[in-house]
Amino acid sequence: MKGKAIFTTNFLLNGIFVIALFILVFTSSVTYKHTVVINESTELLVHSYQIQIQLERLESFVKEAETGQRGYIITKDPSFLQPYNSAREEIKNPVFTLKYLTSQNPQQQQNLDSLLRLVNLRFALLAASLDIISEENSNKKMLDENMAKGKNVMDYMRIQINMMVDLEVANFNKHQKKYNREISITPVFTLILFIFTMIFLIISYLKIQKDLIIQRKTNEKLLISIESIKHAEIIGEFGISQWDMKTGEVSFSDNLYALLGCEPQSFEPTVANYLKFVHPDDRHIVSDGRKKTLENNANPLEYRIIRKDGELRHFKSMGKIITDTERSKLHVGIDRDITQQHLSELALVERNRELENIVNELDSFNRVASHDLQEPLRKIQTFISRLSDNELAKISDTSREYIAKIKTSANTMRMLIDDLLLFSRANKIEKVFEQTDFNILIENVRQELSQTIEEKNAVLTVGHLPNLNVIAFQIQQLFVNLIGNSLKYCKPDIYPEINIDCELIQSNDYPILNTDAQKRYYKISVTDNGLGFEQKYAETIFTLFQRLHNKSEYPGTGIGLSICKKIVENHNGFIIAEGKPGMGSTFTVFLPE
Amino acid sequence: MNNGQMHILLADDDEDDRLFFREAFDEIKINTKVETVNDGVELMDYLTRPDITLPHILFLDLNMPRKNGMDCLRELKRIDYLKDIAVVIYSTSASDVDIEETFVQGANVYLKKPNDFNTLRKTLEAVITTNWQYQTSGLNRDNFILSL
Repeated sequence: MKGKAIFTTNFLLNGIFVIALFILVFTSSVTYKHTVVINESTELLVHSYQIQIQLERLESFVKEAETGQRGYIITKDPSFLQPYNSAREEIKNPVFTLKYLTSQNPQQQQNLDSLLRLVNLRFALLAASLDIISEENSNKKMLDENMAKGKNVMDYMRIQINMMVDLEVANFNKHQKKYNREISITPVFTLILFIFTMIFLIISYLKIQKDLIIQRKTNEKLLISIESIKHAEIIGEFGISQWDMKTGEVSFSDNLYALLGCEPQSFEPTVANYLKFVHPDDRHIVSDGRKKTLENNANPLEYRIIRKDGELRHFKSMGKIITDTERSKLHVGIDRDITQQHLSELALVERNRELENIVNELDSFNRVASHDLQEPLRKIQTFISRLSDNELAKISDTSREYIAKIKTSANTMRMLIDDLLLFSRANKIEKVFEQTDFNILIENVRQELSQTIEEKNAVLTVGHLPNLNVIAFQIQQLFVNLIGNSLKYCKPDIYPEINIDCELIQSNDYPILNTDAQKRYYKISVTDNGLGFEQKYAETIFTLFQRLHNKSEYPGTGIGLSICKKIVENHNGFIIAEGKPGMGSTFTVFLPE
Repeated sequence: MNNGQMHILLADDDEDDRLFFREAFDEIKINTKVETVNDGVELMDYLTRPDITLPHILFLDLNMPRKNGMDCLRELKRIDYLKDIAVVIYSTSASDVDIEETFVQGANVYLKKPNDFNTLRKTLEAVITTNWQYQTSGLNRDNFILSL
């Protein structure tokens, strides 16, 4: 979005620059043209003026000659002939100038020719009059005629001169009109151009102003970002290195220097200088990493650093190549000090090893329990069973009673070992989950417990149960234990009734399911009408070896419900117990959907 | 089966268990000849002796010193003239790993030592009266473990 704004700015400013340039060129050319036109007018004016002056000079020379001639005729003084003669000579000047001035104008040339013919005629008549005077018997009549002719010629000359002047004036006027026509459009143009220029100037000004504000804001953000990164580097214990892959230029952030135990920018940021801090045995890791980066398949690197003060630290480097249109490739690397993490990992590995040892010890304990403890017990039981009834009859009642007690104890011990084995097996992590139909599982349980159910005339009612992904044999064991419990702790005077129900519930409706996310659970409850228990024991009954009843009344090991809890936990579920003495109990199992 | 007599061999390091075993067969009304050896090494020595009659059924304890039952089972299944002897695993424990492994190695029955003498006698009687030729062909994991 920023990039787009800057792009439009550039586009706008470029446009304005081109238009301004165009206006300048246009104005210049118009001004130039005007100057040329004004020059032409001036020249034309001067030209007409010169022609007029020359024509006047021509006329005045003719008049001078005439005046001189007239004075001579009256006075016969030859000194009057001097201006007449000089005028005849000097008239050649204006004639020559006029010929030159009119050379571009054929019409004026023609007029000039006519004028010069009249001038010549006039001079010829003047000369003729002088000739008449010089004769002895001057013919007064001929002279008068001649004089009259001369006056006529003079009149024609004036007309001719006026005509030529008029023509010049007309020419000038014509030019002036054209000039006026052209010049009259220019002020409008200039004004329009001026307005346009003003508008563009204002737009440019506003745009630049706006851009400056954006730039200032961007600068502020940039400064904040730079500061944030600096702080982030310190908090996160990492440094940033930049590597221009085109020029090979490298730069390190201040914190990277700090992580190496150096003052910021205290040495030249080069790969070679960085490698000096890398543990000699790990330098190949960093060098290989750089090569791989060049081949575009870089992985995070882990290596050791020896800081300036000699302290050994563990570093992890990872990076990314940023491809830019202008600067072809920039590699940005993050170098993290992971010493703390590394030490924790080591501690964790150590702890894991300890745990593994413990698990192994437990395993060997299991072996001892399953084999070595059973063997002597089995022999005790077998030897007791070898005492035949005949032999038992021979010993005293007390001894017989002792033997019976040995037998009972041996049986209890057998039960304990078997249950402990079951419990440890429920712990073992051989979790093979499979989609299982709970209805079939319950039928299996019914089969397994059929003898007791028949003996006690128990009624087992089962609602519809779901299909779930579970460890089948464990869930079966769970129901054997729960239903077995209900059958065991029944009231002697009434037939046991056991109900199994199931419903799908939301986890947030049951605070006991303290899960964060809303999940759905199957709530399976096993309810009986047996002895029940006091609610304050609801939790302790799941503890290993906890019993609520006397062993002689209800034989048991106190392991069964612990196994149930373990199994439910293996399935990420929950189990709770509710009871009322003399009313019965309900065990509820929650299994995730 | 010479003279209709059934030869039975037990390899077990436990003296008491050998005693129970013999006493049980004494009470079984079938013509049997019971021999016992004390461990795996003794067992293999006995079976490779030229002068003995090979047993029809071998009862093999798993947990024995010097050479255990599993090694013996593997070994004798590799020897041509021994591999057809019916092998009954006779052990205190019945761990899943042991059951799986002995089944794979070709044992015929897995028998967990009972806690009661009468049960022992009945079980052994059932084992030796089984028609092994027939039983072997239909052997599967379900009927591998003998439970009574």
